[in-house]
Amino acid sequence: MPLPKAENFHPTTWWILGLLLALTASMSTDPMLMVSICLINVTLLLVFRGESNWAQSLNFYLALAAIVIVTRVVFRVIFNFSDPSAPAVLQLPAIELNLGFGMKSSLLGRVSAQAFFSALTDGFRLAAIILSVASANTLANPRKLLKATPGALYEVATAVVIAINLAPQLIASLLRVRQARQLRGRSKGLSSLASIVTPALEDTIDSSLALAASMDTRGFGRKGQVSSTTIAISRTATALALLAAVLGIFFLLSGSGNWLAALAFLITIGATSISLRATSKQGLRSRFRVIKFQGKDLAVISFGIATLALSMALGA
Amino acid sequence: MIRVKNLNFGYGSSEELVLRHVNLHINSGDIALICGPTGSGKSSLLKCFNGLVPHFTGGTMSGEVLVNGKAIQGRQPRQLAETIGYVNQQPEGSFVGDTVEDELVYGMEQLGFTRSKMQGQLDWVCRRFDLGPLLERNLNQLSGGQQQKVAIAAALAAGQRVLLLDEPTSALSPDAAQEVLAILRDLAKNDGITVAIVEHRIERVLDLVDTVITVHGDGSVTQGSKQTQFTDYRYAPPLVELSQKLNWPAIATSLEAALPHWDSSKVTITERLPEVSEKTPDVALRVENLTAGYGNGDVIKNANFALNHSSVTALMGPNGSGKTTLLSALLGTLKLKFGTISTIDGNPVHMKPERRLRLITAVPQQASDLLFLNTVSKELAESDKFGGLANGTTARILESLTGRIDPQRHPRDLSAGQQLSLTLAIQLANGAKILLLDEPTRGLDYQAKHRLAKQIIRLRNEGHCLLVSSHDVEFVAQIADRVLEINQGQIKATSSTETALGPNSPHPTQLASLSQSNNLLSVGQVWPA
Repeated sequence: MPLPKAENFHPTTWWILGLLLALTASMSTDPMLMVSICLINVTLLLVFRGESNWAQSLNFYLALAAIVIVTRVVFRVIFNFSDPSAPAVLQLPAIELNLGFGMKSSLLGRVSAQAFFSALTDGFRLAAIILSVASANTLANPRKLLKATPGALYEVATAVVIAINLAPQLIASLLRVRQARQLRGRSKGLSSLASIVTPALEDTIDSSLALAASMDTRGFGRKGQVSSTTIAISRTATALALLAAVLGIFFLLSGSGNWLAALAFLITIGATSISLRATSKQGLRSRFRVIKFQGKDLAVISFGIATLALSMALGA
Repeated sequence: MIRVKNLNFGYGSSEELVLRHVNLHINSGDIALICGPTGSGKSSLLKCFNGLVPHFTGGTMSGEVLVNGKAIQGRQPRQLAETIGYVNQQPEGSFVGDTVEDELVYGMEQLGFTRSKMQGQLDWVCRRFDLGPLLERNLNQLSGGQQQKVAIAAALAAGQRVLLLDEPTSALSPDAAQEVLAILRDLAKNDGITVAIVEHRIERVLDLVDTVITVHGDGSVTQGSKQTQFTDYRYAPPLVELSQKLNWPAIATSLEAALPHWDSSKVTITERLPEVSEKTPDVALRVENLTAGYGNGDVIKNANFALNHSSVTALMGPNGSGKTTLLSALLGTLKLKFGTISTIDGNPVHMKPERRLRLITAVPQQASDLLFLNTVSKELAESDKFGGLANGTTARILESLTGRIDPQRHPRDLSAGQQLSLTLAIQLANGAKILLLDEPTRGLDYQAKHRLAKQIIRLRNEGHCLLVSSHDVEFVAQIADRVLEINQGQIKATSSTETALGPNSPHPTQLASLSQSNNLLSVGQVWPA
């Protein structure tokens, strides 16, 4: 039986899983676990990614992860300050530095196995976090994510999605203008930047205005009738949420009672959701396809929770 | 359905009004054509009907616009969304959804339709526009014609009774345009939807319009029948131009109406293109076994053809058939996968850009992409300096092409036709004899097209070799010696323009259809006897 593609899942599923995996990676110290999380993410991407444009970015993220690992290790080899008693894996000529102040230090030199592996572990941890977020970002279609946002946040979410979609458009018009410049035989160097950016930005702004006009003429941003009580409820809840959040942060940072902080944050979450619900009533908007959590979504999320629980159990 | 009373509109900064004392009336179920010279304010007038003017464009508007009997002043476009559907010039840039279905239901979702009502409306547009098989498809995988159909369907899906279209067929090949226009006719006649279309290619739509609104460019707007509205031959489609040229008692707006007049007219027919005085029949550019594309896909497959000096070749084919890709390959901006390009001076692909520019040059679809300085005179001076030319060389070429343009103007404020001429002059300054033009007539009115055709013929007679990609059969008939047909990356046939656009071809010009003659394609060939 072929596995369903990413589009058939609830878009937030992938973000929940990605964040759980990232959390697992950041809490663990076991290098094998980080490598497994990297592999899990690559497998997820290869198995579930669809044909859409936004799903073609695996190579980019893999390259980014590799760069992070290599950079981490290279920096550790250069600035190693290793314990002389520990066994060495690499013996490089040392460069002694005496800057005339502070203690003497050296670059390169003897690299202990411990230092090398801890750098590798750090690198893989970062790579695992990057790949977890990357797989969530790739598998969850931003436009579908937009549809799953509550009505009150819809306008903000739309602005974000347009911004996300504008980036590739800007790149496309930059390429087009650059190619056009080549037709005039002009250089591709830095000096030409202004003459390329001006028409490309103009182009991008024109097209985003066209998109905005198209959305407006189709009724985007219409508001329904809302009772004054609903408005009052939403405002009170918002104020309460802000107050509780400030108190929660205060309790947390002052260290005076973690349970108070937890209570304050619970109130914040509760008040925010009441406010969102109340404000959402303003929107007229309905949905043609309501995206619901299904068994397969729960299965994916349970997998994430299980990974986290397992790593915590092993760590303890 | 749409009534405009004493409408004035202008942008605050300029004292000139774009639209002055406009009075119009469009009946329910009619198709109204809005035409006029480039930059005259046609799109602005269209946007007055749904509140985009002034809410989106800025500027000040006075007077009254009534849609379905209700005044729309002060109402935002979104508040008119259930009555009026609007489709922008480039539908692909206005898509909000991912798939066809997303796009079709978007408007209904914003208006808060129930799901069962959305399903009902969706079924209706799918039937009407024949979109059922495409519902699951991604919008960017559709052809240009399909995208235009989806955009129109999405604008009407919530049951809108008025449809506003800004140049719906300008980017479409003849076949795709025919399909879209047939749907519009159906919508008006069978569903009673009122349609207002801004269009430059009047000959394509004239047959189906009920009323013609002309925006003259000085702020005045007139409305009338097809027979009375085209008093200025410079902005008239071929059949109207012919009616005026031959002094027919009534202006013909369709082939059926023109036929009896044509049969009774005594005319002299001249050659379509002038004889080239200096005979230089040698090959300017030869392409052998050329294969090119992006990534793993081949867009151009094994092309073989040769282009002569003193000749104009038109490159024609459906949307997405590889025209632009072929031009990029010839220019060396796209790497060839296989094959050779040869000229008398060698293979341009391997040349340094400076040397290649003296051999082969091009004007892209959006000519203004090449202009980056803030006055015309700076652009001209930069061009002279870059090519190491004597001061004023580029300016002289420009003057010979189009007459003088105020050197202090900003290139972006020029009309589309002037921008094209300026770019053409800059590109020719380095002395290249091979010139490639990509869809040069997009957005040009008839007068600008005539001017461009003159410029092209002049270059041809001076010995240039031109390759012009175009969908516009009437324009091609004015300029081309030969037609190179391309379909799905295959060069199908090289034929004479008379064969490609003649009465027995799939896309004859209006005059070819009318005369059924193999050597009469363009109104420019006909004179009263």
